[in-house]
Amino acid sequence: MPVLTGKELRIVGFLCNWCSYGGADTAGVGRFNQPTDLRIIRVPCSGRIDPLFIAKTLINGADGVLVSGCHPRDCHYAEGNFYARRRLEVLKRFLPILGIDPARFDYTWVSASEGQRWQKVVTVFTEQIHALGPATRHENVSPELLAKVASAIQGGNRVAA
Amino acid sequence: MAEKIGVYIDESSVAPLLNAEELAAYVKEKCGGACPIVKAHKRLSSPDGVAMIKADVDAGELDAVLICGTSPRVDWDVFTFGDKVLVDRVNLREFVTLSYKNPDGSSVAAGGPIPAELRSMVQDYLRMGVVKMQKMNRPNPELPETNRTILVLGGGFTGMNAALAAAGAGAEVILVEKSDKLGGRAAGLYKTFPMNYPYLEATDTGIDRLIGLVTGNSRIKVRLNTTLKLLAGAPAMYEATLASGGNEEKVPVGSVVLAAGWTPMETEALAPFGYGKFKNVVTSAEFEAMVKAGDIKRPSDGKEPKTVVFIQCVGSRDKSLDRPYCSGFCCMYTAKQAILTKDHIPDSQSYVFYMDIRSPGKMYDEFTRRAMEEYGARYIRGRVAMVYPKDGKMIVRGADTLAGTQVEVEADLVVLAAGAEAAKGAPQLAEKLRISYDKYGFFMESHPKLKPVETNTAGVYLAGSCQGPKDIPQSVGQGSAAAAKVLALFSKDMLESDPQISRVDIKRCVGCGKCIMTCPFKAIKEVEFRGQKKAEVIETVCQGCGICTSTCPQGAIQLSHFTDNQILAEVNALCQS
Amino acid sequence: MSRLDALKTRIKEALPGLECVIGWQKGYDALHNTPLFIRGEADVDKLEWGALNVHNPAVYLPSFAGKKVGVVVKGCDSRSVVELLQEKLIDRDNVVIFSAGCDGVVDIAKVRAKLAAAGLNAGNAEKVAVDGKTVTVTAAGKAVSMPMAEVAADKCLRCQFPNAVLADAFVGDPAPQVQAAPAADADLAALDAMSVPERMAFWRYHMDRCIRCYACRNACPMCVCRDHCIAQSREPHWLSQEDSVTEKLMFQVVHAMHLAGRCTECGECQRACPMDIPVLALKKHLNRTIHDLFDYQAGVDVAAIPPLLQFKLEEDNIKERSW
Ligand SMILES: Cc1cc2nc3c(=O)[nH]c(=O)nc-3n(C[C@H](O)[C@H](O)[C@H](O)COP(=O)(O)OP(=O)(O)OC[C@H]3O[C@@H](n4cnc5c(N)ncnc54)[C@H](O)[C@@H]3O)c2cc1C
Ligand code: SF4
Ligand code: SF4
Ligand code: SF4
Ligand code: SF4
Ligand code: SF4
Repeated sequence: MPVLTGKELRIVGFLCNWCSYGGADTAGVGRFNQPTDLRIIRVPCSGRIDPLFIAKTLINGADGVLVSGCHPRDCHYAEGNFYARRRLEVLKRFLPILGIDPARFDYTWVSASEGQRWQKVVTVFTEQIHALGPATRHENVSPELLAKVASAIQGGNRVAA
Repeated sequence: MAEKIGVYIDESSVAPLLNAEELAAYVKEKCGGACPIVKAHKRLSSPDGVAMIKADVDAGELDAVLICGTSPRVDWDVFTFGDKVLVDRVNLREFVTLSYKNPDGSSVAAGGPIPAELRSMVQDYLRMGVVKMQKMNRPNPELPETNRTILVLGGGFTGMNAALAAAGAGAEVILVEKSDKLGGRAAGLYKTFPMNYPYLEATDTGIDRLIGLVTGNSRIKVRLNTTLKLLAGAPAMYEATLASGGNEEKVPVGSVVLAAGWTPMETEALAPFGYGKFKNVVTSAEFEAMVKAGDIKRPSDGKEPKTVVFIQCVGSRDKSLDRPYCSGFCCMYTAKQAILTKDHIPDSQSYVFYMDIRSPGKMYDEFTRRAMEEYGARYIRGRVAMVYPKDGKMIVRGADTLAGTQVEVEADLVVLAAGAEAAKGAPQLAEKLRISYDKYGFFMESHPKLKPVETNTAGVYLAGSCQGPKDIPQSVGQGSAAAAKVLALFSKDMLESDPQISRVDIKRCVGCGKCIMTCPFKAIKEVEFRGQKKAEVIETVCQGCGICTSTCPQGAIQLSHFTDNQILAEVNALCQS
Repeated sequence: MSRLDALKTRIKEALPGLECVIGWQKGYDALHNTPLFIRGEADVDKLEWGALNVHNPAVYLPSFAGKKVGVVVKGCDSRSVVELLQEKLIDRDNVVIFSAGCDGVVDIAKVRAKLAAAGLNAGNAEKVAVDGKTVTVTAAGKAVSMPMAEVAADKCLRCQFPNAVLADAFVGDPAPQVQAAPAADADLAALDAMSVPERMAFWRYHMDRCIRCYACRNACPMCVCRDHCIAQSREPHWLSQEDSVTEKLMFQVVHAMHLAGRCTECGECQRACPMDIPVLALKKHLNRTIHDLFDYQAGVDVAAIPPLLQFKLEEDNIKERSW
């Protein structure tokens, strides 16, 4: 596994209690090598994840967000991950229009026994976020870029000139 | 809203990488205002650790307890302190000390300095735990009037044992059996493989005695030739519609135990072995009936068979038939039948074709060994390729994979250990009860370790072979376990103290019904409140998934333990630093 | 009989059985029509029909819950009514829908710009005449003619539903459809052409100007929560009251995501914004996404289930990442 060096980034994970949270436990118990940037928020079901949590996390400056739930058809609550899949996919496609790189967000499925898969997912995702580097917040857009984009905007409430 | 949180740090979870006292000091410094008590303990899950927390709780100083140590997925039943305090967990063991490695992949040297990454990780989790706890709401469910009658579906070994266990504890039971008699599959058994000391001889199944106990019990009402048509309502207030003949009857019940059993696989899997074509090829169940009647004969000519070939795993563990699972009890009953054959026909010789012997029960392996060693049954490891008649006999040809040779046995009688399938109509029953079932039609438990006899529908339990093939002892064990869980559900405390359920803020709700549409458990109903439509959660049905909470735009329905504010508090804690 | 007169006749017939009928009337100046609540026969004659009826009257329907009301709608407005019905936010038995073919409404901002180019102030508009393809505005005694195609609302230029998708009383001839298939949206094309960091700068620029007045939300017919909007509540507490770009943008994300699969692109949010912020672009982008993913358009079928309130076991267009 490639070594992750340099500054830690802020990565937030939303994990379903029944599957992925257990998968992460399994990876811990198995003492698998894992990058250390991720902080996990436990939710009962991926269906509990309002996509706005993810939007809020990213807009507030997190460098990456990872969501993981039970594999389709294995949801502890039968249907939660099916709803989640639709909502999360919509959010993922929404992010770039806001100016947030969609690669900063991913969602996947990991079962409680898949410690190895969990390790892989965290590692790949963390590497992906490190490749992107620290996220810029809307508040910190560079004055040059702001000036450039602002000058192209010509009055009125249309985007297109 | 928790204001006085007791924070307890489990040394056994964080040592030796981290120092529990130092972590406690950090919590005091950062969150002291909200946490009047911060303590470290060697092992929180030990009786001593639990007693320490309990003493603090009893002193009335706390309204919440935050356990920082093992994953919330373990020891969940150890850390309960009554309904006076809220409890939550911070996972420092699995997520921090066990999984932490230095950026270069090496482990942290014991006694050395604590790496900055590790420090920030553990501190983040501690702060997240506290802020989430601060936003946790106190539950206050009100209990509706309850009915404690238990409806048991299926009058086989499992169902009867569940009924007796529940009735023995004082519960009223309605035992519904689809067929015209009690006993299920076990009623057709002559004897069972041994289940009591010294575990050597096949013994009576005890089914007749069991039937006697059930029919003689005044708390158990047996309803033969009856099925469940509909189950509506909620635990402790279900209404079951029972159908019998052309009649239907609605009865109030509190909970349901499913013991619908299994059914032997039918001809499709048996055909390759000549079943249905040649009279002298029979199923184990048919053979068992012969033994029970004391009359082992060749169907073709009524002669006593001298050579009997048993073929195991017929239709089991066979991917090509989409039956990859093991039927569980065939190895054992085949051994039993080989022994019984020898008992009845001393000059007979049995052969058993098997894939491998699965006999993990108490003294089970010894029993199969006895079949081989004392009763001289010849066990041949390998699949049977062909069964055909020749000169009034059946030729069974197969491979002996241990010897690496082809074998041919001339048999008088061939007995097929047909695999187990889910009971007929099991998927339809599952749909009616909104419980999960696997692709073979066996019902699925809520969680294999945490909730083995529970289903995802509150108040509906399962036991025995309807969950997957099980022999009698396993079935009995599960029947009793299910009865115990039902009784525990009815001990009012349990109904009140599972607070992970959603609640509607009636002021905010506009009655749009989006939550009602998405709730997988039909746990939300529409009610009228001052002339306006509102949603209301049926607390005893809600399973706590929170799908409704993320569906409602204005956040009018919130899942306790995982409210928007709790999750937002965690998000904020992570985004500030 | 003109469309307007035909509408008036039908409304007069139905009025006795209705609490009120919502429509438009002349406003405080010649350029602006405002909502009209017809409660008696005398009010009926105040009704207007035409290019100045920019408001979406469907926004008022949920507040009449439990009472039987009428509503006059343009084609686009009718989609909001359908969406409200679909989400059970109003009751079919309690709403009577009046409509006629719509030839498009003006975008006041575009008219204002045209007048400004002619050296005139829109505030002085005295008279507006619309005939066929031309809008003539008289201000400070001077008449300025402008082609409708240049001052029509963007949505009208791409309108697919000039005739109500659902109506109890549809009067007159249907209006012709502007285009067989809608042209690519210029706003989305412009945003698509930007790089991701440029889009961040773009929203930063606009959100800096947002005054957090919530006019965008209040104008939205699907924002039925209003007083209980999560932008202002403490239980749950999604947003602080801090006047930061982060919080303001987050509100726009809340509105857009809450409207995902429900927004009919009526454009009221953007029209209502006093700061000329192009908030509609976010919703347009989501609508395009919803259409690509689920082949769905909001507010055309009362029986349809909004796509985020349902699922398929195998999704047709969601390709999950393999790791
Ligand atoms: C040949 C053979 C020999 C065996 N020998 C042994 C042995 O020696 N020892 C041993 O331990 N096990 C043995 N078994 C296994 C044993 O039969 C099972 O373990 C046992 O029957 C499981 O009991 P059960 O109550 O779960 O299911 P079942 O016995 O199948 O009982 C289920 C009952 O539910 C009823 N039912 C089904 N659906 C409904 C419905 N919808 N509504 C109402 N009622 C319904 C059925 O009519 C049936 O009466 C043997 C099996 C076979 C095939
Ligand atoms: S989704 Fe929200 S507003 Fe709609 S009925 Fe449910 S709780 Fe009420
Ligand atoms: S949490 Fe909500 S969606 Fe889930 S079971 Fe309870 S009421 Fe239904
Ligand atoms: S979000 Fe804007 S365009 Fe969409 S329905 Fe609401 S007001 Fe209309
Ligand atoms: S933005 Fe969301 S919460 Fe606010 S009013 Fe609109 S739908 Fe309701
Ligand atoms: S109407 Fe405009 S200024 Fe007001 S809150 Fe909406 S975007 Fe901001």
